Amino acid sequence: MSKPKVAFFDFACCEGCQIEMTNYGAEPFLELLKHVEIVEFREAMTETTTEPIDIALIEGSFTREADRARLMEIRKRAKIVIAYGQCATTGGINALKNHQTDYKQFVYGTDSDLPHLDSKKAYGVDHVIKVDYYAYGCPVNKYEVLQILLHLLHGKEPVIPNYPVCVECKRRETVCRFDEGDYCMGMVARAGCGAPCPAAGIPCEACRGFVDDPNLAAFEKVLVERAGFTPQRAAEKGRMFTANALEAS
Amino acid sequence: MEHQCHWNEVANIFLPREATIVQAVQATPTEKHFTLKMSDGQPMEFEPGQIVELGLLGYGEIPIGFASSPTRTESFDLVVRSVGRVSGAVCKLEEGDTVNVRGPLGHGFDLDKLRGRDVLVVAGGIGLCPTRSLIQYILDRRDEFERFVLFYGSREPCLQLFGDDLACWRGMQEMEYHETVDNADPSWTGNVGVITTLFPKVQLSPETRAVICGPPIFYRFVIRELDAIGIPRENVFVDLERRMKCGVGKCGHCQINDKYVCVDGPVFSFADVQDLEEAF
Amino acid sequence: MTTSFIRSDDFAAFLTAMMEAVPVYGPVAKRSRFVFERLEAPDELRLDYDVTILPPKKLFFPPAQDLLRFDEAGVEAALEPTEKVLLGVHFYDVKAIDQTDLLFSERNYDVNYMGHRETTTIVASNIQNVSGRAFFASVGTDVQPEGHDAFLTAIEGGYVFETRTERGEALLGYGAFQPATDAQIDEAARVNAAALEQCPEKLEHGTEEIATKVRAAFGDDELWNELAADCFSCGTCNTVCPTCYCFDVQDTWNVDQSGQRTRFWDGCLTEDFAKCSLGDGGSENFREQRGQRFRHRIMRKATYLNEKLGGPACVGCGRCSAGCTADIADPVRVINRIMAS
Repeated sequence: MSKPKVAFFDFACCEGCQIEMTNYGAEPFLELLKHVEIVEFREAMTETTTEPIDIALIEGSFTREADRARLMEIRKRAKIVIAYGQCATTGGINALKNHQTDYKQFVYGTDSDLPHLDSKKAYGVDHVIKVDYYAYGCPVNKYEVLQILLHLLHGKEPVIPNYPVCVECKRRETVCRFDEGDYCMGMVARAGCGAPCPAAGIPCEACRGFVDDPNLAAFEKVLVERAGFTPQRAAEKGRMFTANALEAS
Repeated sequence: MEHQCHWNEVANIFLPREATIVQAVQATPTEKHFTLKMSDGQPMEFEPGQIVELGLLGYGEIPIGFASSPTRTESFDLVVRSVGRVSGAVCKLEEGDTVNVRGPLGHGFDLDKLRGRDVLVVAGGIGLCPTRSLIQYILDRRDEFERFVLFYGSREPCLQLFGDDLACWRGMQEMEYHETVDNADPSWTGNVGVITTLFPKVQLSPETRAVICGPPIFYRFVIRELDAIGIPRENVFVDLERRMKCGVGKCGHCQINDKYVCVDGPVFSFADVQDLEEAF
Repeated sequence: MTTSFIRSDDFAAFLTAMMEAVPVYGPVAKRSRFVFERLEAPDELRLDYDVTILPPKKLFFPPAQDLLRFDEAGVEAALEPTEKVLLGVHFYDVKAIDQTDLLFSERNYDVNYMGHRETTTIVASNIQNVSGRAFFASVGTDVQPEGHDAFLTAIEGGYVFETRTERGEALLGYGAFQPATDAQIDEAARVNAAALEQCPEKLEHGTEEIATKVRAAFGDDELWNELAADCFSCGTCNTVCPTCYCFDVQDTWNVDQSGQRTRFWDGCLTEDFAKCSLGDGGSENFREQRGQRFRHRIMRKATYLNEKLGGPACVGCGRCSAGCTADIADPVRVINRIMAS
């Protein structure tokens, strides 16, 4: 049996998630190559492909109308599409601009009229195409992506957590940010990262987005009562990685 | 409390045994009927109504009720509905493939309470699978039981399980078999309607022991019929379904109030669970 | 069994000798809190801790524990317990260990817990500082802590060391113990009694009374929904609870195609705990509402297991109260409110 063909594609993003894919270390990566054939991977190889693909991993947001056709073309020749990284799954940090109007001038200055910068609101790629699986995070947890690939190679649906980051903080006995006078978004943020940020003494910013049913009313209340946020700041706090989810809620 | 160090003398309850698929039949579009033998040649000794954790390494385990009678020692049957990671992978298996099993587990039908009595089995949909174990048992030891009535309801004719069995049961003297479908197709000439429409067809004694297994909504309606006949609730046995994970009463997922379905059940006397708010 | 005394000056040498012979776990500081960890040096031990973030159950029932390992050649059990000493367990945590010992050994004896448990010598210790949400003095007061091998009480100038088992007795060989005097034994008793007077929170009713009334409140949906309104379904109250022991089981593969079946701590407050797949993306969640999940936990702590355990499945450590970000998990507030209604 020939090895499944895997390709990495990028849209509006920093390509940091693609870089993260090169960080497995030689041994696991070479072992993985025994089971898959990588046919396109801009950050690591020159070759590209127009052939059918078994698994397409798409990074980056949909934010330019011009990208629609390319996304649809990838979907057409891919058996499985995985959106990986927060830009591709929910719009990620790019979606911060969705509630601003003057961002182009601020970011690009005199270059802001260049045609390839003609962007609109930023969305996850499922705004345009059907996505089969989501690997959340900014950046992705490379071990989770690996686990998703291994599951798919065995024909098994990947397991993506739908519980908050608090679960993972407590499992590793991290001192709660609120107990140290800080704020945190872990109570509404989707786990699966292993909660490295609070363990390092910084708040969770929900870079994997929200759990399926986040209690946002209680979240705002806790930010005000325990972290001293103003109600307005509490209401907007969720925007960093979850602007589209907040807009929809 | 003094601990006797004997952990290394006790079998690991999570270590499975291997079984080989000797027959695999796609029973309905989503359900596959497997006949299995333990790979080491040992018989699987169980009671009707008990469950087994059916597993595939790398995929996980699912609890499945035995669908054949322990009186048929040659092999045992499991019917798997493809709904998730494990069941989906299992349903791709064919004759000659192997699976892992842990069991038998749980508390089955209390046969002593059924022996010497009239028995009514009411099965809905996939609920026929675990009850088939009891049905076969009664048929194999027919003289141990009195009158035997079976009601079987399906949504549609094409979703009926165990077609060969049904063909056999329809004409059988040893049991009174009645079936219904919620929605008929042109081929169907039998009763159309929900399960309760079968009750007027037979006169049942209040001394009857009743066994119910079906989807959650099913129980309330069937119980109402049994109440009307005057069958005391301690003589009604229900086979319940929850998210059983470990199968050994530890992991907590299958709890109905304070009961663990996997070890306290899955078969309960209705009298024991009727007051549990989370049961029905 | 015996009651001995060891001088403070000799205590570090006792720890050092023990640590050279066997891994020793005890409470150590972690930022502003405490955790049970393997001791690297005797001065890490903080017997003055108030409460640890996680209870000692993590040593017997790790947050992620491989049950099986498999590869193409077959499958084998993953359990490899080692002898160790767990030092400095407060009595409420010993009571909790008694519960999990029973629950993991009854009906289907689980070697994956019991293997670690039976290879552990437990030395309990007196409570020098009481945590801000503790209520151990007013919960399950009829239940005595059993599952420890020795009990250490800090008194003036040293520690009283009461052995409860042969295993506890064996530890005397590591240190310069001498028989305790009656005065020292009396002082230890006073110290332990005094800790019970310092709980900041208190249940106002007895176990039986609480069990009956809480159970009767099951149908009060309005109450449960209100109590759970701010619940994040984060399961912190479960995760930090010394008597919670629910778990999920997941299989994973390694890149070389070997793999493992692992159990992870799970909690009945999380959204998907009682959710079953029905296929085609459909599912049935047997406790879909926050209020239903919140209620299930309170029922389990206050009523469901009482008969089996001989008391409530709560030991009053206050970890859930302190750990709950929304501060709604406190059993004392919930139960006292129900009792007052």
